[in-house]
Amino acid sequence: MSYSATFKDHLANPRNAGELPEANAVAEETNPVCGDRIRLSLLVREGRIDRVKYLAYGCPPTLVCGSVLTEMILGMPTAEVSRLTRANLLAAVGGLPSRKHHAAALVMETLQAALKSH
Amino acid sequence: MSHRRVYLDHSATTPVDPRVLEAMLPYLTEKVGNASSVHGFGQEARAAVDRARREVAGLVGAKQNEIVFVSGGTEANNLAIRGLCELVAPHGRHIIISQIEHPSVSGVCDALAKRGWEVTRLPVYHDGLVRLTDVEAAIRPDTVLISLMLANNEIGTIQPVGEVAKLVRARRDAGQANLWLHTDAVQACGRINVNVNELGCDLLTLSAHKLYAPKGIGALFVRRGVRLLTQSVGGHQERERRAGTENVPGIVAFGAAATLARLEFSTRAIHDRQLRDRFELEVQRRIGDVVMNGNRERRLPHLSNISFRFIEGEGLLINLDMQGVAVSTGSACSSGTLEPSPVIRALGHNDELARGSIRFSFGKDNTDEDVDYTIDVLVRSVATLRALSPLTRTSQLEQVLARHDSRT
Repeated sequence: MSYSATFKDHLANPRNAGELPEANAVAEETNPVCGDRIRLSLLVREGRIDRVKYLAYGCPPTLVCGSVLTEMILGMPTAEVSRLTRANLLAAVGGLPSRKHHAAALVMETLQAALKSH
Repeated sequence: MSHRRVYLDHSATTPVDPRVLEAMLPYLTEKVGNASSVHGFGQEARAAVDRARREVAGLVGAKQNEIVFVSGGTEANNLAIRGLCELVAPHGRHIIISQIEHPSVSGVCDALAKRGWEVTRLPVYHDGLVRLTDVEAAIRPDTVLISLMLANNEIGTIQPVGEVAKLVRARRDAGQANLWLHTDAVQACGRINVNVNELGCDLLTLSAHKLYAPKGIGALFVRRGVRLLTQSVGGHQERERRAGTENVPGIVAFGAAATLARLEFSTRAIHDRQLRDRFELEVQRRIGDVVMNGNRERRLPHLSNISFRFIEGEGLLINLDMQGVAVSTGSACSSGTLEPSPVIRALGHNDELARGSIRFSFGKDNTDEDVDYTIDVLVRSVATLRALSPLTRTSQLEQVLARHDSRT
């Protein structure tokens, strides 16, 4: 598939990559079919996402969805974060072909799991 | 920012050599006859096709009438396998191939299996090679065809086709008259010495666009005496073996490219090998946690297949592409399937290594500067992706634990 400029930018320069030792909401999920993996570490303070870091293994849509998501949720109230949908993420990424929607699904599942862990 | 452009995907396809283009152009513009036409234009085209046939035959040591021009390697493989198996079906319906054949061989065999043929797929081992003992054990009285690619397109390993041919001859001498050997030599031709008489094969596939000629033209070597059921019917071309108006410009280009491949064989092999070997040394020196795939000695001189641990191939490929470097990957994501490279898996590697494999294939126009640039780009791209990967962290933790365990 041909990727947009935004997509390639996030691929070459992933935002918020890494670990967060002081995180109080962490989750790591793997897609059992293709092996893609996302680890999300959040620091939730006063009902907001104060800091966020992510790690990702897998195809480019997975890496990019993770990067875009961290930009979206940084500073956002957790109530608003928990209402985010796969469609919101796909729109923020600039759209993906349907066979790559699993990447957005994995990232959103990891986000929900991280919020639950807090 | 404009980047240097470095093409390292010569096993996917090659640029047309300017000398090949020059040879071909008149057959697009002035010498435009149909080679079957009786008039002067036609005879001119006929002569050009005959000359190209001699040139292609010369590359592989064949007689000119043993060369059938087709549209490419895929069609040649289809003609060889279906053409032979459908004709000799009354004598047997068992085929032997390796686990790492090109899809145009394994796919044809899958299609035949649906119609009642039995296919044995021989394993390759950690080095990507079949074992002769396995071949010998697999041959049955109803085996009619062994198809074994001469050099693998992903990892470049060179199979013992000549030794298998000896097994086939021994079986024929013992009375198994309908046992034939085909080899897909698409990756091998022009890169290693390929001689149909030294190899002893009955059928051999060639493809022009791997040899600095255009896409859309290939050839099947059919040893004199071997008969096939024609797959493309409705014309008398290619001595009734493949109907259809000849692609005269393509055939002329193929002939010119074959001659150049034969004359420049040593120069190209030395050049490609030097670049590839230096590239691999630098990768191993500057990037850790890499696995070099395939037998180190029995392989094509221009190809390097490397698995980069902890990262996935398509991400690395796109990163390299954004910086001007073109390669290919065994990752499933880019092939559109869910399975990572079956070739890398067949070596005994796990999914992570299969997904993290990249093929670099050098060509006659690549330079030392191309290698230097690619290494720099690769070092940076691998570092970026590894910093992002949870697998890197897991491995680091495992190493810490292992060191702790060894001390207590």
